[in-house]
Amino acid sequence: MNRKQRRRLQEAFFVGIMRTSLAGACLVLGTILAVITVRGVGALSWEMVSQPPESGFYLGGGGGILNAILGSLALATGATLLAMALAVPLALFMHTYLRSGRIANGIRLVLDVMWGIPSIVYGAFGFALMVFMGLRASLLAGVLTLALVVLPILARTFDEVLMMSPKDLREATLSLGATRLEYLGVLLRQALPGLITALLLAFGRGIGDAASVLFTAGYTDALPQSLTRPVASLPLAIFYQLSTPFPEVQARAYASALVLTILILVVSLLAQLSARRLGKHVIR
Amino acid sequence: MTALSVRNLNVWYGDKHTLNDVSVEIPLRRITCIIGPSGCGKSTLLKALNRLLDLNDQVKVSGQVRLDDVNIYDPGVDVTEVRTRVGLLAQKPFPLPMSIFDNVAYGPRIHGRHNGKVHALVQEQLQAVGLWDEVADRLKAPATSLSVGQQQRLCLARTLSVEPEIVLCDESTASLDPISARGIEGLLCALKDKYTVVLVTHDIDQARRLADHVIFMWLGEVVESAPAGQFFGQPKEELTQAYLAREIG
Repeated sequence: MNRKQRRRLQEAFFVGIMRTSLAGACLVLGTILAVITVRGVGALSWEMVSQPPESGFYLGGGGGILNAILGSLALATGATLLAMALAVPLALFMHTYLRSGRIANGIRLVLDVMWGIPSIVYGAFGFALMVFMGLRASLLAGVLTLALVVLPILARTFDEVLMMSPKDLREATLSLGATRLEYLGVLLRQALPGLITALLLAFGRGIGDAASVLFTAGYTDALPQSLTRPVASLPLAIFYQLSTPFPEVQARAYASALVLTILILVVSLLAQLSARRLGKHVIR
Repeated sequence: MTALSVRNLNVWYGDKHTLNDVSVEIPLRRITCIIGPSGCGKSTLLKALNRLLDLNDQVKVSGQVRLDDVNIYDPGVDVTEVRTRVGLLAQKPFPLPMSIFDNVAYGPRIHGRHNGKVHALVQEQLQAVGLWDEVADRLKAPATSLSVGQQQRLCLARTLSVEPEIVLCDESTASLDPISARGIEGLLCALKDKYTVVLVTHDIDQARRLADHVIFMWLGEVVESAPAGQFFGQPKEELTQAYLAREIG
């Protein structure tokens, strides 16, 4: 085999590996979607997404999962916004005032460790804190705990986005006599599409997390009413319905999973659209 | 008349001594070209003139750069004021992530200098760099939609929009095609009635075309600094003679 043939074979081999990986990822995702669609689409109805559960819902009674849909949206939105309020200034500070120094690297290490901690640990921490403060399970406690789960995701993803921002942007802005704070504004414009992606990742993780809200947000059949009352969430709704021995309730669990997937899909599409719109001036 | 006076300037990047006891005068409202081979410290000297070296944490500076008889490295000096008075046109055109209009309006806005007449100011600067007719109907378009040559003229308009006294140009035509490069050269020549221009270039022919004053650097030191006529006609130093004859470099 000559050199030319060997190079062709190498390329064909590695392209083959990449195609197989792509097919594997698509197969896994496709199987999950197929299972929840096939098992859940029959149970999906307007009543299910537009009404809270009636008595006996988990035994096959009427009603729907509106409590869990609204609860999950409230928990994930609140946690993402709260985490954003901490993560964005933190990442911008690291890049403008600390840059690649030891302190910045130390903060990155802490965030990486926080990212790796299982969310049940955050749930236990939130629960211990609630007991210490004499609080009950509530939307507020759920949002605070979930914010801790998504904070490292948001901060580190945005941090990586800022790392990829062009180095010349700093010189171009500061050479006009801008302050470092004014430079932050320009940097934020450059990083806006990346920030939206980071928010999306955080929201996706937040809306799908069950362990951190299990003890802290509690569960209720009522619609979310106030920050101090318990709220339902979709992952827990799926868990409770799937735990019953009744096939029709189990089918609703799959329908709930389908609703959760559709919610994430809609949020992803909206985020992509806005990132494209806001990113038209970005320097590539 | 002197625009900037550099006295015993030393710059270190970490342990590397990049500028060694540099002392030169930059004449007022003239084009001063800093020439020399790659790595001789031309760009370091240029960026020392408006404290852009501060952006690199590894850099240490000693000595003085005097602007209006004030050392810009004195602790009490407002660095944003220095950079407003001493602007920079970089080697590669780098628009800000904004529209064409906002790129020029950004500087006056942050300094509060537009007096409510942003549009007129942007038009004036874009006309000054010969870009107005090409972009007047698409001011809201992204700056990156312009060609590279147009982007560099936009960056020059942005630099001029904050009304600097001195414009530093770091090989600002190096990444352009010959026609765009000549266009920028023409603009720099037109600027010297109003501004002091300091241009780093490795192109001896460009220095011959543009310079009123030349600083020749070699291994971090200034070998010769003289008016262009004298520098190119009767260079004093043997190293300068060899460099101009392209025997070294």
